[in-house]
Amino acid sequence: MLFLLDYSTFIISGFLITVEVTLIGVGLGLILGILAALGDIFGGRIVKIIVNVYVEFFRGSPLIVQLFIFYFTIPMITGVSMDVMVTAILTLALNSGAYQKGYLKGAMEAVFKDQLMAALSLGLPMWKIFLYVVIPQALRIVIPAWSNELASMGKSTTALIVIGVREFLNTGISITAQTFRPLETYAFITITYFIWIYSMLKALDILYNKVKIPGLEPII
Amino acid sequence: MTSILECRGLTKVYGKVIAVNNVSLGIGRGETKVIFGPSGSGKSTLLRCLGLLEKPTKGSIYFNGVDVYASKQDLNKLRARIGFVFQDPSLFRHLTALGNVMLGLKHVLGLSDAEARRKAYEALKLVKMEDWANYYPAQLSGGQQQRVGIARAISMDPEVVLFDEPTAALDVELKWEVIAVMRDLAERGTTMLVATHELRFAREVADEMIFMDQGQIIEAGSPDHFFTSPNTERARKFMAKILG
Repeated sequence: MLFLLDYSTFIISGFLITVEVTLIGVGLGLILGILAALGDIFGGRIVKIIVNVYVEFFRGSPLIVQLFIFYFTIPMITGVSMDVMVTAILTLALNSGAYQKGYLKGAMEAVFKDQLMAALSLGLPMWKIFLYVVIPQALRIVIPAWSNELASMGKSTTALIVIGVREFLNTGISITAQTFRPLETYAFITITYFIWIYSMLKALDILYNKVKIPGLEPII
Repeated sequence: MTSILECRGLTKVYGKVIAVNNVSLGIGRGETKVIFGPSGSGKSTLLRCLGLLEKPTKGSIYFNGVDVYASKQDLNKLRARIGFVFQDPSLFRHLTALGNVMLGLKHVLGLSDAEARRKAYEALKLVKMEDWANYYPAQLSGGQQQRVGIARAISMDPEVVLFDEPTAALDVELKWEVIAVMRDLAERGTTMLVATHELRFAREVADEMIFMDQGQIIEAGSPDHFFTSPNTERARKFMAKILG
């Protein structure tokens, strides 16, 4: 495996791209998920329809197809092309947001149902109820589900190869093409993915235990 | 006596169900009024409307003589002046007892952290929960949670406190913890409107008792009136059932 040292810069750069798109994708997905959940809870009929079409499309179609649509189809129709990294992050964020909306909505509804009247009776306006009552509880409740999302997204980034993003797996393929040593290269790639994802899950476990509050366990 | 909180011709309809039907009542400063009646008689709905947590289908609500909905006042500001204690304590589960009481003080009344903490401790002390200030709701018994709920409501210095069957979900032992706190509040001159089946409590503290059935006020009078000679058959039967 020592031959891989010759490609260390290349490997590190690929790995950092994978980490970057995963974290930004899931982070933006969280914001989209919160907005979509709020739209689905409080929005009018039109907003609910828009949210549900968005969610069903991104949950019901393969990530690779979504990448093709955003990288090839939409630019062909609009005449506006996007940078490959922007396309990758945008698609991952939209995809992740669709999944995150599901469990965020469940958590938010549980808190609203239980405590909305109490919060209103104190005279708190809706945005403060959301900020000080709903979000702190909903985020704690969804951390375990969020761990799955992070792990799943980390692995899904390998699909970015179809639009030519120089992510981690893509670097492995390039190295294999140059060295004809797939066994060691892919073993290294696999082990690295495993260590990285395992570390993220452990870190979230630690975070969950740190912010855990008695009686506020996940309901989903 | 001028009423702090009053409703005239209040009606609340859910679909085809008339939960409250043309109810008028008022509560003056320092008064304690008890609403009682069978389950489904409209007590909770009436209180939620008076607490400005639900808008009546018909009728008016006056707070210090001003028609709340006609004058288009800021409901959040008015809600902060009307305390509400729920049947289920509905504490915020991510906050300690102290945090629950401090939330409104900081984010509604705009008190500093230190001032909110001081006031919250005072309120917890009043309901004898100061030793449990740093416990989360799940670590407290039902009675303790309800006492924190009361502290949360009274800490805001409301002009009137509405209690929606605060002991209904508690077993006998815990019930008396909460009743003792409410009795104490009544003795301190807190203006209270209480929906409850605890007629012993009502007899001790109520200035007026109001019997509701099928969304309407059937009869109102002093505790002595109800305990000796209610006018209506329905009230008589209900009293007999409750008192055994």
